[in-house]
Amino acid sequence: MTESADFTLGQVLEIRQEELLNAWMNSVLLTWRRKYPHTAINEDLLRLQSRQLLDELRKLFSGAIPPEGWEPVPGSKIATLLYDFSVKHAKHGIKHNDTVLYISVIKQLLIRALLQDAPPACRVLNTLIISMDHVLDRLTVTLYDAYLETRERIIAQQSLSLLELSTPVVRLWDRVVMVPLIGVIDTQRARQITERLLEAIAKYEATVAILDVTGVPVLDTSVAGHIMKTIAAAQMLGAQVVMTGINPDGAQTLVKLGVNFAEVTTRATLRAGIAEGLLRVGKRIVPIKE
Amino acid sequence: MKIPILRLGDILLTSIQVDLTDAEVMQFQGDVLHAIADIEARGLLIDITAMEVVDSFMARTINDTANMARLLGAEVVVCGMHPAVALTLIEMGRGLIGVETTFNLNEGLVRLNRRIQQRGDSISTDQDE
Amino acid sequence: MDTLIPQENAESTIPIRDSTDILKARHRARELAAALRLGSADQTRLATAVSELTRNVLQYAGEGECRIINASSDHEVYIQVVVEDHGPGIPDIELAMRDGYSTSGGLGAGLPGVQRLMDEFHLTSRPGYTCLMIAMKRPRALSF
Repeated sequence: MTESADFTLGQVLEIRQEELLNAWMNSVLLTWRRKYPHTAINEDLLRLQSRQLLDELRKLFSGAIPPEGWEPVPGSKIATLLYDFSVKHAKHGIKHNDTVLYISVIKQLLIRALLQDAPPACRVLNTLIISMDHVLDRLTVTLYDAYLETRERIIAQQSLSLLELSTPVVRLWDRVVMVPLIGVIDTQRARQITERLLEAIAKYEATVAILDVTGVPVLDTSVAGHIMKTIAAAQMLGAQVVMTGINPDGAQTLVKLGVNFAEVTTRATLRAGIAEGLLRVGKRIVPIKE
Repeated sequence: MKIPILRLGDILLTSIQVDLTDAEVMQFQGDVLHAIADIEARGLLIDITAMEVVDSFMARTINDTANMARLLGAEVVVCGMHPAVALTLIEMGRGLIGVETTFNLNEGLVRLNRRIQQRGDSISTDQDE
Repeated sequence: MDTLIPQENAESTIPIRDSTDILKARHRARELAAALRLGSADQTRLATAVSELTRNVLQYAGEGECRIINASSDHEVYIQVVVEDHGPGIPDIELAMRDGYSTSGGLGAGLPGVQRLMDEFHLTSRPGYTCLMIAMKRPRALSF
């Protein structure tokens, strides 16, 4: 039997690896399958990664216990394993508490195994448990950080996609395109709107572009500046721009701010703007005669 | 690399098809001005479809050429401006290009003819009488 | 993680001696932007900025060097361009960064224009050494 002073977690892991792995996987998968019946979980891969993780833990705890304040080295095997695990599960929509569950389950199992296997009156048992507790806590933090980072990226990505969705360029008639501007116009959106509009002008060989600002809540100098740039760029491709949908409040604000859109044709309503736009390509809307 | 300058009635049509070095740009400017003077051209259409980059030097050269051509009595329209080029020029600073620009050649020709007609002068060629 | 980063393009150095080098440098910049899957607007922004800076080198210093560095990660595309020369330097940086200011009879949109096109812009200049660092960064699409 082991001398009580030489007792390590490494030994426990060496003897009990398969048993611990099975118990670990069963417990984690049981919860996940119940909560995410529609998510395909690659069990073989999970098992493989978990086995590697146990290997790393065994190495870490094979001799002296890890120093106080131990942190996983970024880029080390153990950090990479957790990072990949976390990123994958965040992408698959596994919730943060269920991702963290992965570590808390193995912590429980290891504590139990330690208590069971420790020789009677083992002097190092307390230090061992405290050290292991710390290491697994740090691993949880690593896991959690990676999880949050991934979620933030997903959110950023989604807001980008939303941005794209929110900027339709409509082909109104032959050689007439229209952009309904909706919501807050910041630099990034203004860039995107301009890119979209220019592409549409080129694609449809448009000579008239109608810019409708009905849906823009605040028209201030910054927004006006962005719109002026969009207009100038459209004009550079040879398109005439008709701006519509400035309300009385907006008109007051703009002139007080010193913006008067002097070189742009403006119409109060989209309706009038469409009539003007069509006129510029020699078209008119007339009633159907009986 | 010499850029061909084609004559279409009293309009000159020229298309820049490759990225030009600065020396070639200046050469081109000279060639165009001489061609305008030679035939008393009333319009110049510069197609820049193949130009992927128009920096401030190139923009200035285009403006200069247009102003020089005006002094020689020719209206100037630049056509074939790429959307990405237009965007970049606007972002760098508005007013970099002081010439009428259009996306396609056809529209460029329409604008140029309209401008020439608006001038209403008929001294340069006999067929206008 | 997939690696879209063309490693062979990690850094390329283009000596700037005559105006064909301007074309070379901006071609290289555009190629890198295209390889990193940036859109045509961003490709043009980068190529135009490189064109402006390398032309400045020729105009004011006679010769110099342009380095195009791909420092992209899995998370973002990050292209850095460093343009250096050993010319007389920019006497008044504040003035050079002002819109409409030009000593060369240009439109004066050069440096401030480049700054507006780029996400990062750093200029250091003293007699005998001028260095401009610009960078463009874009979030990279997540791969599922």
